[in-house]
Amino acid sequence: MFRFDRRLLQHFDWIILIWLALIATMCLMNLYSAVYPDKPPGTPVYIKQLYYFIMGMGLVLAIISMDYRVFMTWNYPIYVIICLMLLYALLFGKNLSGAQRWINLGFINLQPSEPAKLVLVITLASFYSRKDTGKGFTLKELAVPIALTALPFLLILKQPDLGTALMLGFIFVSMTLFVKLKWQTLNILLAVCASLIPIAWKFILKPYQRQRIETFLNPEADPLKTGYHIMQSKIAVGSGLTFGKGYLEGTQGHLDFLPERHTDFAFSIWAEEFGFVGSALFLSIYFFLILWGLNSAVSSRDKFGTLLCIGVVSLIFWQAFINLAMVMGLLPVVGMPLPLFSYGGSSLLTTMAGMGILISVRMRRYQVPG
Amino acid sequence: MPRIRRAVEKIHKIDEEELIILKKRVDIATAVIIVFIAILIARLWFLQIKKGEEYVKLSENNRIRIQQIQAPRGNILDRFGRVIITNRPYFNLVWTKEDAPNPDEVVKRLSQILGEDISMLLSSIREASGQPRYMPILLKEDIDWKTLVYIENHHFELPGVRVEVMPSRDYLYGNMASHLIGYLGQINKEELEALKQKKYQGGDLIGKMGIEKLFEQQLHGEKGYRYLEVDVLGFEQQILQHQDPLPGNDLQLTIDIDLQQTAEKAMEGLGGAVVAMEVNTGKLLALASSPPLRLDEFIGGISTKVWQEHLNDPLHPLIDKTIQGQYPPGSTYKIVTALAGLGERIITPETVFYCNGGLNIYNRRYGCWKTAGHGAISLQRALAESCDVYFYQVGIRVGVDKLAVYAESLGLNQQTGIDLEHEKPGLIPTSAWKKKKKNERWQDGETLSIAIGQGFDLATPLQICRMTAGLVNGGKLYKPQIIEEIKNPEGATLEKIQPVLLGTVQGSEHNRNLIIKGLIDAVNTRHGTAGSAKLPGITVGGKTGTAQVVRMAKFKSIPESQLPRKYKDHAWFTCFAPAEKPEIAVTVLVEHSGHGGSVAAPIAKQVLQEYFKDRLVVETEP
Repeated sequence: MFRFDRRLLQHFDWIILIWLALIATMCLMNLYSAVYPDKPPGTPVYIKQLYYFIMGMGLVLAIISMDYRVFMTWNYPIYVIICLMLLYALLFGKNLSGAQRWINLGFINLQPSEPAKLVLVITLASFYSRKDTGKGFTLKELAVPIALTALPFLLILKQPDLGTALMLGFIFVSMTLFVKLKWQTLNILLAVCASLIPIAWKFILKPYQRQRIETFLNPEADPLKTGYHIMQSKIAVGSGLTFGKGYLEGTQGHLDFLPERHTDFAFSIWAEEFGFVGSALFLSIYFFLILWGLNSAVSSRDKFGTLLCIGVVSLIFWQAFINLAMVMGLLPVVGMPLPLFSYGGSSLLTTMAGMGILISVRMRRYQVPG
Repeated sequence: MPRIRRAVEKIHKIDEEELIILKKRVDIATAVIIVFIAILIARLWFLQIKKGEEYVKLSENNRIRIQQIQAPRGNILDRFGRVIITNRPYFNLVWTKEDAPNPDEVVKRLSQILGEDISMLLSSIREASGQPRYMPILLKEDIDWKTLVYIENHHFELPGVRVEVMPSRDYLYGNMASHLIGYLGQINKEELEALKQKKYQGGDLIGKMGIEKLFEQQLHGEKGYRYLEVDVLGFEQQILQHQDPLPGNDLQLTIDIDLQQTAEKAMEGLGGAVVAMEVNTGKLLALASSPPLRLDEFIGGISTKVWQEHLNDPLHPLIDKTIQGQYPPGSTYKIVTALAGLGERIITPETVFYCNGGLNIYNRRYGCWKTAGHGAISLQRALAESCDVYFYQVGIRVGVDKLAVYAESLGLNQQTGIDLEHEKPGLIPTSAWKKKKKNERWQDGETLSIAIGQGFDLATPLQICRMTAGLVNGGKLYKPQIIEEIKNPEGATLEKIQPVLLGTVQGSEHNRNLIIKGLIDAVNTRHGTAGSAKLPGITVGGKTGTAQVVRMAKFKSIPESQLPRKYKDHAWFTCFAPAEKPEIAVTVLVEHSGHGGSVAAPIAKQVLQEYFKDRLVVETEP
């Protein structure tokens, strides 16, 4: 079945692998600090995250051993399966803090909305690579990809998980813009979006989501809850100064001021303990990985591979940007993890699978299809 | 893998020309990403380098505390704008978990200082376990000056403990109108759940009863807050941000402090109720239930022991007798029977019945209160002297169901609609009611009891007062009104409450005037039952009532004055004045006290004296 090709090893993308290991180390270090010195019962989160990284490496190996082009044939079955899983989570899923997001698989509580992002990337890449003529899409031609995005989007929005749902929107927009639209189409879409905002504000957003956005726009409105998070996160980041307070020396995090400090607000711990220099270094390493992934897009010899890379990169980039901007008080608080850095199995495995796809595309760059 | 190959063959391959285009787009994407990275780095620089020192200070002194500033609650005023209830600072002892994670030592020390049970203090801490750790927990409300000074001097021994100043209620007239106004208490979990959207938080005070509860939304205002920077011991260093609270709205009641106080003073030591109503609007000038609630016991939560004591008190202080006390209306109900008799054309003012001290009918003798009998008697005198036999005769002829129609048109057997909770509807029986409730046929003899307000008949003092008002105001039944207007903190009127007409009394003006004549005679003729309510210069009309309390046979022979209290009759008196152009109706009920004329009427007289104090003819000694 799988015929080993020496060229595959020659062209193996070691950079991504090394970078993954680097970021994983920083992530585990940071998680250790986030829960230090508390000793909650059960396996500590940094150990669990280590397990997820190991599982993620297995996933990476599985994906790169396959020709990514098989996803073209599998894409609709996977799409249907993920939509069914989303529906299942919505109807029978575990309810954690008011949202139906989880399916219990025994060894792991899976959040199907995480892999759904990747499935959308594959689905859109497959569609666009077949249809793209290079002349730009009209509104009519966009009907199918819009529908393909809307279905999981609505299922996730209903959970409710605004952050992840928005992510699907970002993926769609990024990939669609990349394949080029007709100007007229773009204008119409922009007009529709603009007119949808007030409707969404009124009917789609839950009161707590509206409140978060209102708090952000006017932090004095409800200082007691959301405003407090933003303020404490800013204090944590800001008090890091140039060189930081030192590893395990951060005070904001350890004194319980920071909410969600091992998940969404993980970066504020890093910034507090390593300061501007450490944070800038982190951002450089992190975004180098993203830019490298983007570069893989042009290494591919076929459009499917290119679009896969674009999708994966947009998926990781937007999550990272929104998360970091939120932690630094530039954007309202939405539930959005920092890929590879926040604690959480579903997000980590999805991101690792995306990395696998990037490696797979790049290492097959000399395999001209056909 | 032929399938893959087939699929792969369909894939759009990239030629050189297209590669250039794609490269261009990737370059654009790269540029976009770099811009976003630059934004993040700039923000990092701003937070960590530019503003870094400020944030260091905040994180070092460690702590920002959010302090809520309670909004001053709206005042409660009387009808002339005199303040009944306002706010004063309470010095409350609070404890913040964040400043001292281990409460045991502190609580032990505090229990010595306050002389309070350790378990009480610990339970308030447990109660608040779900709160974030920066939120202060209330340990003791309203500490006195000595304790305050002691705590302030020993704060180093009490980490995490602070004295917080909170406005709370200042009752300028003590317990006056306490049933009506109600009291405040700490918000509980259910209330918090229900009011989540409205910025309430654990530890907040909320109206628990009466007007304080029903008009909570008007009174409570909007909280302000302060972001405080505090040091390691929890002491305030500086304010980072703040927003002033918005005071609540004032409520102007229809109650007249002078009348209310007169009524309550007259009822001192007695159990019962006084209601005074403006007859042409339904506005309540006094609404007193005696004995009043002792509000000081409710501050900071009433203890189970005190609560139990009140439950066992024979004067039942916890019951608002004006709207929750249901008593047989006694002879005050003869107003209904008379109205029904006239309205059904069973009697005319000239109809005469003979009273020989009782009526032998249905194989039994039904007595009149006057055992010697009233002789030949017609309506006006029957009302003035409260002849039972006359009204037995009318009742038999009208029938129980027709009586009920008139009673209901006078507002009995239904809630009055006053804006207070737990109002009782009273009871006026019909034959259908008895069939349904007891599955028994109506006995003719029962109609006799009903006709004089005994038997199944039940009414609240408020109902009887409104009935009286309806009789003399042209037959209009108003919703009893307690709020005159709602004012903003600056004193400007936000809403003026208009009287609400709920119904009209069955029967003609002519018939009502015939009854009014009888009631005027009751007060102003020699044989009238209510002479003790007579006022110089103002003509009063009224009806006494004595509601029999069900008692065991062995007490039958003992004179009323020697009976144990709980077997004594309830005394009623309901009246209006001035008779020519009625303005006010006053109803008094005194539980287990004896006759209406001797006990209740003098109390009503005091209230009327206060109301008419400027118009009374001063009696000069000859």
